[in-house]
Amino acid sequence: MSTPVLEARDVSMVFGGLKALKGVTLTLEEGKIVGLIGPNGAGKTTFFNCLTGLYTPTTGEVLLKGNVLHGDPAKVTAAGLARTFQNIRLFPSMTVLENVMVGRHVRMKQGPLASLFHGPAYQRGEKAARERSRELLAFVGLNGVDDELSRNLPYGDQRRLEIARALATDPAVLLLDEPTAGMNPQETEATQQLIFRIRDTGVSVVVIEHDIKFIFGLCDSVSVLVQGELLVEGSPEVVRADPRVIEAYLGKPPEEVQHDVEAAAASVEEEQA
Amino acid sequence: MSTVDTSAKRSALAPLGKPFAAAGGVLGIVAALLPWVTFPLNDGNWPDNSTLQYFDAPFGVTGFRWHVLVLGILILVAAFAPVPSRGRVVRALGWGLTLVSFVNCAYITVKGGGLGAITALEGATAFGGVVGLVAGVLTILAGYGIGIEPVGEWKFKISTPVAYLVLLLSFGAVLYAVAAMLTTGGVGSANPYAGAIFLSFLGFATGVLGALSGVGYVRWLSALSEQHRVFSVIVLAACALLLPFTEAGNEYWMTVAANIGIYAATAIGLNIVVGLAGLLDLGYVAFMGIGALVAANFSGAATAYFGFALPFPVAAVIAAVVAGIFGAIVGSPTLRVRGDYLAIVTLAFGEIFTRSAQNDIGGFTNGSNAIPGVPALSLFGAEFNKSISIGAVKLPAGVLYYVLIVLLVAATMAVFANLKFSRIGRAWIAIREDEDAARAMGIRTGKMKILAFLIGAMLAGLAGAVFAHKNGTVSYESFKFLESVTLLAAVILGGMGSIPGAVLGAALLFVLPEKLRDFEDYRLMIFGLALVLIMRFRPVGLIPDAHRRAEMVERADENAEEAHVEAKKA
Amino acid sequence: MSVLFQQLANGVIQGALIALIALGYTMVYGIIQLINFAHGEVFMVASYGGLATFTLLPDDLKKSPAVALPLMFVGGIVVAVIVAVIMERFAYRPLRNAPRLAPLITALGVSVFLQEAVRVFYPNAKSNLPYPKVFPEGNLTIGSVNISWTGILLVALSVGLAVILQTYINRSRMGRAMRATAQDPDTAKLMGVNPDRVIVLTFVIGAVLAGVAGIMFGGYLNNINIDMGFQNGIFAFTAAVLGGVGSIRGAVIGAFIIGLIKTVAGQYMPGGTQYDYVWIFVVLILVLVFRPQGLFGEPERVRA
Repeated sequence: MSTPVLEARDVSMVFGGLKALKGVTLTLEEGKIVGLIGPNGAGKTTFFNCLTGLYTPTTGEVLLKGNVLHGDPAKVTAAGLARTFQNIRLFPSMTVLENVMVGRHVRMKQGPLASLFHGPAYQRGEKAARERSRELLAFVGLNGVDDELSRNLPYGDQRRLEIARALATDPAVLLLDEPTAGMNPQETEATQQLIFRIRDTGVSVVVIEHDIKFIFGLCDSVSVLVQGELLVEGSPEVVRADPRVIEAYLGKPPEEVQHDVEAAAASVEEEQA
Repeated sequence: MSTVDTSAKRSALAPLGKPFAAAGGVLGIVAALLPWVTFPLNDGNWPDNSTLQYFDAPFGVTGFRWHVLVLGILILVAAFAPVPSRGRVVRALGWGLTLVSFVNCAYITVKGGGLGAITALEGATAFGGVVGLVAGVLTILAGYGIGIEPVGEWKFKISTPVAYLVLLLSFGAVLYAVAAMLTTGGVGSANPYAGAIFLSFLGFATGVLGALSGVGYVRWLSALSEQHRVFSVIVLAACALLLPFTEAGNEYWMTVAANIGIYAATAIGLNIVVGLAGLLDLGYVAFMGIGALVAANFSGAATAYFGFALPFPVAAVIAAVVAGIFGAIVGSPTLRVRGDYLAIVTLAFGEIFTRSAQNDIGGFTNGSNAIPGVPALSLFGAEFNKSISIGAVKLPAGVLYYVLIVLLVAATMAVFANLKFSRIGRAWIAIREDEDAARAMGIRTGKMKILAFLIGAMLAGLAGAVFAHKNGTVSYESFKFLESVTLLAAVILGGMGSIPGAVLGAALLFVLPEKLRDFEDYRLMIFGLALVLIMRFRPVGLIPDAHRRAEMVERADENAEEAHVEAKKA
Repeated sequence: MSVLFQQLANGVIQGALIALIALGYTMVYGIIQLINFAHGEVFMVASYGGLATFTLLPDDLKKSPAVALPLMFVGGIVVAVIVAVIMERFAYRPLRNAPRLAPLITALGVSVFLQEAVRVFYPNAKSNLPYPKVFPEGNLTIGSVNISWTGILLVALSVGLAVILQTYINRSRMGRAMRATAQDPDTAKLMGVNPDRVIVLTFVIGAVLAGVAGIMFGGYLNNINIDMGFQNGIFAFTAAVLGGVGSIRGAVIGAFIIGLIKTVAGQYMPGGTQYDYVWIFVVLILVLVFRPQGLFGEPERVRA
C-alpha cells in the first residue's frame, strides 16, 4: 500500500479539563473522499483545527504525504493542506477575485521589493495568479462576479468562493467544514458534483457534514466521531449498517431533537468566540 | 436614534421633497442677491461688499455670496435634472448652504453685537443671512423628503485617453480648490475676518464635495485613479508643482504647504499600518522623530552627536533604516499580542521615546535644548530656503523645499499604491479582515505585520529627515503623543486605506490651525470633538477607500432598515 | 534600607490610586471590549469638580474639614458620573456595532476634548492648582519611614472599595447581569438583561471610583493639573492589562505592582525618576508577550 496522503495518528486535544478529542486516528488515501460525521460537539471542527495547525494537539501527530506537520497554520497550508470554515470566513470587503488571489499568496514568490517596484517579473507573476484565480472561479461556477465585494454574494456563492480560495493554495488535501450548511437541495446536489470534480483533479478531500444522505452519496469512506472518540470507520455501507452508529447518531428521533438544540447552542458559542 | 428620525422624517416629508428643494434653491439665489449686514462693523465692512452701505450692485456678486449663488443654482439643478441619488445630493448642498449662511450670520451677530446686524436696524434692512439659513434648512429637509438612497454607482467604462483627460481636469480642479483654500481670507492676522471667510469657504466646499460624492463622482474618480495610478500620481505631482505659480505662491504658503507635505507623507506611511494592515499605532510620530534625530546628528549642526556632515541623501537613507529597525522592534510583539493591546504597546513606545529624548538619551537628542542649527539643504549652490528665479519668473523662498516635499509625497504615494495592489498588500488587507482565515491561506501573519510596521516606520523616518532640515531645529517637543493622535486623525478624517484621503486629511488638520488663529485656544478642544463627530457621522472619512466605503455604506443602510422595522413594530 | 521601605510605602500608595482608576478600565473593557482612553480624564475632571465644589463653599464650611471633605467627594463624584454617562450615551453607544477602531478613536477624541475643555474653561487651569488642605494631616512614622495619613486613607479607600465592588459583582442581581453581559451580550439580552442599563451602570461605577481617586490625588499630592488624567490613565490601563483585563482582583494587584515598580525603579534604576515610566512599559510589554491574557485573565481561545 502506498503512503496515505494524510494521516492523523492518535490525536488528542484537551481544553482545561475537557477532553475534546481522545486519540482519533484517520487515514486518507490519495484521490479519495472521506466523510467525518457525528453529533454536534463531537469534536469534528476541533479535529480539523488540529489537522490545520490552528490548535496544537495535546498528543498525537499529523502527517501529510509522510511528513509530520508542525503547528503553524500558514506552514500547514504551504505544505498542501487547505480548508474552509464552518461559518464562512471570507475577507468581506475584498472583491471576489482578490479573495481567491489571497489564496494564491502562498504559491507566489514576490517579496516586498518586487511588490514595491512592480517589475516585469512581478507583472508576469501577478498576471499568472489572476488567470489561475479566474480559472478556479469558473471551476466552482462563479462567473462574472470578479469585482463584486465578497460580502455581497448570496450565501451559497460565498461557500463556493471559499472553496475556490482554498483550492487556490494548490492543496493536496482539502478539508471542507460543512460545505452544504444552509443550502437547498439543488445547491447541495451542485456541491456534491463540485466535490467530485475536485477529487477528479487529484485533490483528496475530507468533509464534515450533518447531512447523512449527502455524506453517504459522496464519500469513499466515512468516520463517525462521538464525544471525541472515533466510533466507527469504514465504507458508507458498513457505517450505515453498524448498530452502534444507528444508536449513537442515526436511530433515535429524540437524538435529532437534542442535536438541533446543540446546533443552536454551538452557533451561539461561535458568535461569542 | 437618529436613523429612526430619518425614516420618520422621510415619510412625513416625502410629498414636500421637490417643492422644498425648489424653494430652497430660489431662496438661496435670492439670498446671494441681498445685502447681509446692516452697518459696517468695527473691523470694517464685511467682505465682498455684503454690507448694506458698500452693497453696490446686487448682481455683482463675489466671495461668499458667489458661493451662495452657486449653491442655489446647483440645488435647482439637482432638484429637477435627472441626478442619481438625488436626496443625498440635495441634502449635501443644503448643508453647504446652511453652513455658509450660519458661519457668516454667527460672525456678524457676534462682531456686530446683536441680531440687528443681520436683520433690520434703524430702517436699514439686510436679510441675506436669514434668507440663506432658511433656504439651507429647507433644502436639507427636502433631501430627506426625496429620500436618502445609496450613493450613485457609475458602471460605464471609458477609454484610457478619456480617463486621462478626466483625471487631468479633476486634479486640476483639486489644485484650484487647494490654492483657493490656502489663500481665502489671506494670511493670519492680515484680514480680521480671515477665520470666518475661511470657514465659510469650507462650508461651501463641504456642500459641493458632498454633492459630488452623493452622485457617485468621487467613488468613480477614486476607482479611476486606482486603475491608472501611475498616471494619477504623476498628474497630482505635476499639479502640486504648479502651486507656486498660483496665488498661493508666496513664502508663507510655501512653508505651510511644505509642512503639510511632510505630515502627509508621514500620514501615508501610517495609513499602511492602520489602513491596510489594520493595526492601530498610537506612537507613530516617534518614528518620524527618530528619522529627524538621525538626520540632525549627521547634519554637522553644532550640537550634533557626530562631528561631521553626511550628504543629505545618505543621511536620509540612514534615518529611514534606523526608524525602520525601531519599527520592526516595536512591531515584534504583534507576533504574540492581539488587537487593542498592540495599541497600548505602541503608545508605550511613543512615551518611552519622548521621555528618552527629553533626557538626552545617549547624547543623541540634546534633551530639552533640542538640536538647533540644522543647515538648510542646498543643491548646486541653491539653498532650499532662498527664493530662486527661473528666467524672468521669480519664485518665492522655500519653493525648493516645497518641490522636494512634493516629490517625497509623490514617492510615498507610489509606494503605498504599489504595495496596496500587490501580493503583500492583499495579505495585509486579509489580515485586517480576518486574521485566522488569513493564516489558513498560508499568510505568515506575524511576518507581514512586522513588515507593515517596518515600511510605515521607514516612510516616517524619511519624512523626519526632511523635517529636520526644513525646520532647522529638532526637538522632542515636535513628536509627542498629540502629534501621533493628529496623524491618526488625518488618516481617519481622510479615509482609511485611501491615499488622496491621507493627503486631504493632513492638509485640513495642519491648515486649520493656521487659518483659525482666532480660535487658537479652542483648537484642540474642537479637534477632539471633531474626532468624535467624524466617527459618529462619517466613519469612512472624506475620501474613503472604494472597498471600505461599500462596507460602511451598507452597514448604515442595514441599520436604517432595522430601525425602520423596529419603528414599525413600535 | 530605610530608603527602600520608604519607597515601598510610597509605591503602595501610588498603587492604591492607580487601582481605583484601573477598576474603571477593566470593567468597561470586560463588558464592551473598549479601551476607554477617556477614563483617565474622568478622573481628572473629578479632581477639578471637587476643587470647584470647595471653592463654592461658604467660608466657614471651608474651615471645617469634616464637612468640606465629604462635600468635595460628592461634588467630584457627581461631576465624574455626569461626564461618564454623557460620554457613554453620545460618544460610545452609537458606535456599538461599528468596526473595532471607531470607538477607540472616539475615546481618544473624548480624551483630548475633556482635557482641553478643562484647560480652557476652568479658571487658571493652565497652571498647577493647589488643592485645599482638608485632608488628614501629619504622618505615621514607623522607624525612619514616614507615611502620610492621607496616603493611608487612600489605601484604605482603594482596597475597601475594590472589595465592595467584587462582592457586589459576585452577589447582587445587577452584578450577575453584568457578568452575563460580559460573557455573551446576546444571550444575556434574551434572558431579560437590558444591556444598555448594564453598560451605563458599568460606566457609573467606574466614574465613582475615578471620582474618589481624583479627590484623593489632590489630597495626597497637594496640587492638580490637567495632565494628571492622561498619565495616570496610562498607568491604570497598564495595570488593568497586567492583571488581566476584566478581572477586578487582577486590576488591583496589577496597580500595586505598577506603583511599586514606579517608586522602586525610580529610586534604584539608572536614570532615576526620569525613566520610571520606561520600566513600567517594559514590564507591560514583557507581560503582553509572555502572558498576553495578563496575570489573572482567561487565555483567549482561537475561534474557527
